[in-house]
Amino acid sequence: MLDFTGIEKERLRARWVSSAEAPEFVEEVNAFIDTLKELGPSPLKAAVEAKKEEQKEAPA
Amino acid sequence: MIETIKQHVAGLLTEKKIAGFLGLIEKNGHVAPHLFKDGESLAGFTLGDRKTAGDARYPLNKTLVTLSRAYPEETFGVLVRGCDERGLYGLFRLNQLTEDRVIPVGFSCPAELSEACECRKPYPDSLVAGEKTESSQLKKVAEMDGKDLARRFDFWTAQFVKCVKCYGCRDVCPMCFCKECSLECEDLVAKGDLPVEVPVFHLTRAMHMADRCVDCGLCDEACPSDIPLRLLYKKTAQIMDTDYGFTSGLNKNERSPLSQMGPAK
Ligand code: SF4
Ligand code: SF4
Repeated sequence: MLDFTGIEKERLRARWVSSAEAPEFVEEVNAFIDTLKELGPSPLKAAVEAKKEEQKEAPA
Repeated sequence: MIETIKQHVAGLLTEKKIAGFLGLIEKNGHVAPHLFKDGESLAGFTLGDRKTAGDARYPLNKTLVTLSRAYPEETFGVLVRGCDERGLYGLFRLNQLTEDRVIPVGFSCPAELSEACECRKPYPDSLVAGEKTESSQLKKVAEMDGKDLARRFDFWTAQFVKCVKCYGCRDVCPMCFCKECSLECEDLVAKGDLPVEVPVFHLTRAMHMADRCVDCGLCDEACPSDIPLRLLYKKTAQIMDTDYGFTSGLNKNERSPLSQMGPAK
């Protein structure tokens, strides 16, 4: 659904890691951080602000 | 078509098979839900077609849930289109209605409406009047999928910021019945703030409707900001269908994969 609404689906990750698997958890989080660094900051906030402004200027 | 249905309903009422029939009435120039009772005339009985087919619909199943809670021993009749009946099947599955306390009286939608809705099942199984209309293909979802990521992003953020958080989409939805709604959970949706959390608000609802939405389109019609909600839920439904082979309310007694534990079959 993220993909459908134009957000990189790599920005969301779900994994099952047992509480006994600390190293797996660390590895997973580190890998996710790398992915996020590659993707850069999300355009969401700026886009929402911009759209809000646009709508203020052009009342329907 | 309407005469056949009226006769059928009159029969159910005089034979005392139902305590009342939940349908639509046209009165003082308006169409509204109405519970027809035995001995009452069926004058004003309408299918909700005013200028065009299906332009005055109501979530009758929602009223039916309220009625059944108040009168659990009674059996009611209810007017259904294809999507409404899918809704009934869903509400039976989710234990909101009891199957043997409901007698659906169904009619089919015309081809133009089926096409405009891109409807999977424009006729109910309990077809009292009309022919089985052909189902239509999903076109708008494919069109959206065909755009690139940036254009999709642009489109949906522009849509979501228009939301005035009126909760009309939820309140009109015949498949929304939870006493506690996630959209009122302050950790997800801050109170008082506009625009809503983009895309959290709308995607939360989309996820929660994944195995419920019967694609009736009432939310889309109700939204004062004209956000194409139905398109969003059509995508969720498509994912449910391709990945799990499940479509809400399409088959009676089918359980949702989201409420089953264990490996996928
Ligand atoms: S189309 Fe909208 S109102 Fe109808 S069942 Fe789906 S979410 Fe609910
Ligand atoms: S009906 Fe439209 S404006 Fe109202 S809460 Fe739903 S999406 Fe937002």
